[in-house]
Amino acid sequence: MSSKRGFYTRTALAAATTLLLIPGLALAQAPSAKTSSAPSTTSAKQDRWLHVRVISSDAKGETVRVNVPLELAEKVLPAINHDRLHGGKVKIDCAHVNDVDLRAMVEAIRTAKDGEYVTVQSNENDIRVAKQDNHLIVHVLDKGKSKKSQVEIKVPMKVVDALFSAGKDELDLVAALHALSAAGDTELVSVKGDDNTVRVWLDSKNVTD
Amino acid sequence: MMLLAKAALGFTGTLALAGAYTFHEGVIRVDVDEYRAGGTHVHMWMPAAAVPLAMHLVPQEHLREAAEHSREALPIAHAIVKELKKYPDVELVEVVDGQQHIQIGTRHGKLQIDVEAPDQNVHLLLPLSTLEDVTRQLEANAPGV
Repeated sequence: MSSKRGFYTRTALAAATTLLLIPGLALAQAPSAKTSSAPSTTSAKQDRWLHVRVISSDAKGETVRVNVPLELAEKVLPAINHDRLHGGKVKIDCAHVNDVDLRAMVEAIRTAKDGEYVTVQSNENDIRVAKQDNHLIVHVLDKGKSKKSQVEIKVPMKVVDALFSAGKDELDLVAALHALSAAGDTELVSVKGDDNTVRVWLDSKNVTD
Repeated sequence: MMLLAKAALGFTGTLALAGAYTFHEGVIRVDVDEYRAGGTHVHMWMPAAAVPLAMHLVPQEHLREAAEHSREALPIAHAIVKELKKYPDVELVEVVDGQQHIQIGTRHGKLQIDVEAPDQNVHLLLPLSTLEDVTRQLEANAPGV
């Protein structure tokens, strides 16, 4: 009987000790602030990610990498009510910028066939605006300054349509992001200058390459 | 002896349950090291569950004042945190500038901010659920709610 009581006592003490150690063990397994676990390259549910990368070519070699899930941007934008941005829409003073009716121009480009619409060649700039495979393409080569820079913008027409789908004098950023999420992997903006290289692109990976 | 064992079992059982509750939301870590004469060195480690509890103890007028000051930012912060919970392990921002290195991302459901520079190191680890609780409580205390 006494040996049985001793067994029960030891079991109870062992159980008590184990219970006491559980939180400690759980904490020991918790990741530290400097955990090195790398994020997975592809998100599980094929989220769409907007990536921005800026690489400076100066001596310090500054690099900026930003990865934003499009869904997050879509949900957060309507929460921002500041200055001209309200409810995911940004107010523009008027759709006539430098006497150009943007909305009418977009409508004209949307309904037109593929082709090159604007070509400007000067000593300072080469500008080209075209529509190709349902994408609006803008190419600017700045050659006026001592340092040259080249800008390439390629936006799906559906995104442009969505952007101008809001009321007059408004750009619907949320609608544009939503349209962008349906687009395939694509490079949206590329800026190559003597000082910096900027790249904005869209894919399903949650890390930059 | 039997009574002692029972008491020990009861005490440690209670302690374990209290520990499990206290740490169920994880741990907040703050590490700040300034590498200069008289520089600050802060190494804080506290259960995240303590923050919403502590907020209940803050006088209502102070909470209302804080909510008033951050009125514009609160809905944005709440929306960001709520959405970030869907992305528990991602790298959002990385800036490398010479010897400076800044990283912002999420790790295991926590917001992680790391700043490494020659003169200072800052590491923050904040559970997203705690941030959501805090923003929700502040929003609830905002004037006009």
